[in-house]
Amino acid sequence: MSAATSTAEPGGRWERLPERLRPRTHERRGRGDLRRVESTLLVLAFLILTVAVVNDVVRQVHVNERITADLHTWRTITGNDLINISVEQDLTHHTTRDVLCGNTGAGPPGTQPQACLIMTGPTVHGMRAANGGFYLPPYFQDKRVNRYACFGTAVRENLCGLPTPPGAPDEPLTGG
Amino acid sequence: MAATGGAGAERVAPGRATLALAGACALVLLMATLEVVLAGAVGHSPLIPGSPRLSGWLQAIGRFIGFHERLGFRMFLIALLCFTGAYSGLLVLARRISADRRAARWSIALVGTLAVVVCAGPVLFSTDVFSYIAYARMGMLHGLDPYLHGPIRIEGDPIFKYVGEDWLKVATAYGPMYTLISYPLAALGLKGAVWGAKVEALAASAGTLALTWRCARARGYDPAVALVAVGANPLYVLYGLGGAHNDVIMTFFMMAAVALVVSEENPSGSAGPTSSASPGPSSRGRLAGNRDALAGASVVAAGLVKATGAVLLPFMLLSRRKVSTMWGAAAGLVLVAAVSFPVFGLHGLDVISALNRDAALVSTDSFPTEIAHLLGKPGVFPADHTLLKVALVAIVAHLAWRTWRGYDWVSASGWTLLAIAVTSTWLLAWYTLWALPLAVVARDRRLLIATFAVQGLFIVHQTAPLFSPVST
Repeated sequence: MSAATSTAEPGGRWERLPERLRPRTHERRGRGDLRRVESTLLVLAFLILTVAVVNDVVRQVHVNERITADLHTWRTITGNDLINISVEQDLTHHTTRDVLCGNTGAGPPGTQPQACLIMTGPTVHGMRAANGGFYLPPYFQDKRVNRYACFGTAVRENLCGLPTPPGAPDEPLTGG
Repeated sequence: MAATGGAGAERVAPGRATLALAGACALVLLMATLEVVLAGAVGHSPLIPGSPRLSGWLQAIGRFIGFHERLGFRMFLIALLCFTGAYSGLLVLARRISADRRAARWSIALVGTLAVVVCAGPVLFSTDVFSYIAYARMGMLHGLDPYLHGPIRIEGDPIFKYVGEDWLKVATAYGPMYTLISYPLAALGLKGAVWGAKVEALAASAGTLALTWRCARARGYDPAVALVAVGANPLYVLYGLGGAHNDVIMTFFMMAAVALVVSEENPSGSAGPTSSASPGPSSRGRLAGNRDALAGASVVAAGLVKATGAVLLPFMLLSRRKVSTMWGAAAGLVLVAAVSFPVFGLHGLDVISALNRDAALVSTDSFPTEIAHLLGKPGVFPADHTLLKVALVAIVAHLAWRTWRGYDWVSASGWTLLAIAVTSTWLLAWYTLWALPLAVVARDRRLLIATFAVQGLFIVHQTAPLFSPVST
């Protein structure tokens, strides 16, 4: 920042103001203290942002690892090597509980009955525990009114609101 | 940024090793850009938005040289980190290279090549350009006011499927000046409109860089280094130009205003003629008045492209304290209002409601979201928005007071733009570019360091998939 010697602006327009309120064409010398305070605040802000960014990267890495384990678990339990599996994270309560849904048969995503598994707990040997789940009819969103054939924790949590449609897959899937 | 030094300052020519190192850095920048563009042209990338087929010829070139891997997160992040490393290397070497007579020519060649390469490829990382075109087509072809309706109203239009899902129901948030600039794109057809938007961004970028050069020279900084600092910046090249964002058009008008004002300054910062062959006092006064008026109008133009650009105006007024600046700003506003009112009515000028709507958005890359995660919260809440607004107002008030008392208004404007990016809950890569051209010509060099620091943190935040890619 320039610290030239020039002080108040020449001309009478602002002369009625006290000196400390008058505009200047250049900053007065001896503003080192203010600059130091500003610089300290900037460094502090940078440190906080750095910690926040690093924390977020580490958090995201853990989330990625967890989702990889979730996908592996879903494929292992269902025996279905699908690519398009939807993952719904618990963004409301920020827990590690994920719900993964994928087709039970061949076809584009959502065009077949969906098998959904609720994954919780830590990752052990690249897998997570699937303690419950439910099914969804083709083309239906994951809402309580569309879920049927709940098993495991999904029964206790009363997540299903639809009776099993005739001929639909409904076997309980657990493992992990 | 290296200052050119006084008239008697001795400039030592760089050694061969320095030049070779700088050449290697430039080559890395070019290779990283080529990799992103060629891999992006292959298609089927989660990073490249669906788009009309623009770069089939690049795909053919890629195949010819044996390049057919699609752009995945890992490949992109490695390219981004290499780009950033080489860019940092170039800036570190800049002080020494700038003594070389060929430095200016080489820096122009490098920046020009990067811009042309990235603009020749597919649209990178963002669907915004398709929103611009959708709004233009709504107005020109469908008779709909883009300030009242979202692209959802033109579901049958071929551009519709390329607009980002989040923006389908959203009316335009851009200023009437940009909307008017973008309207002719609608007449070019789908592909022509995308190329038109790319050419607009390229031309605005060339203008921004030329003005940055001019401002740097007027303020006694090395213009070649300033040019590289902006034009070879990884976020500027890959995100700003790669996505053909209208932020580049906004920065063009911002820098035009800065250039008009700083060309009156001596390198030391005092106001006055830079040349001994300047006109007499009365014509000099008239000339300065015209410049101030044009600068005011130019800032208003920036704000009417994207509201953020208007941030410069209060600092310019506080620093210049000239009636001509106010007249210029008012004339610019009246002129654009007169042209846009018959087309958009008052909605086109209602930037406040557009800003309020955007301020409520939240992105995972924003610093407030990251701080919320650090504090164990799932994200930002309405109370946090209020706190952030209070913090921003306090920063702006402090900068306004300092500008009144003689602080460099360009620095104050840059700090404000940076503060907006940092406190915004909706942060995108190209928002970190707003302050950059101002920072390279600002008298307060802390601004440049802070801008680089914020950009560096943004890049670091992108790297998570590098450590743990999700296997699909």
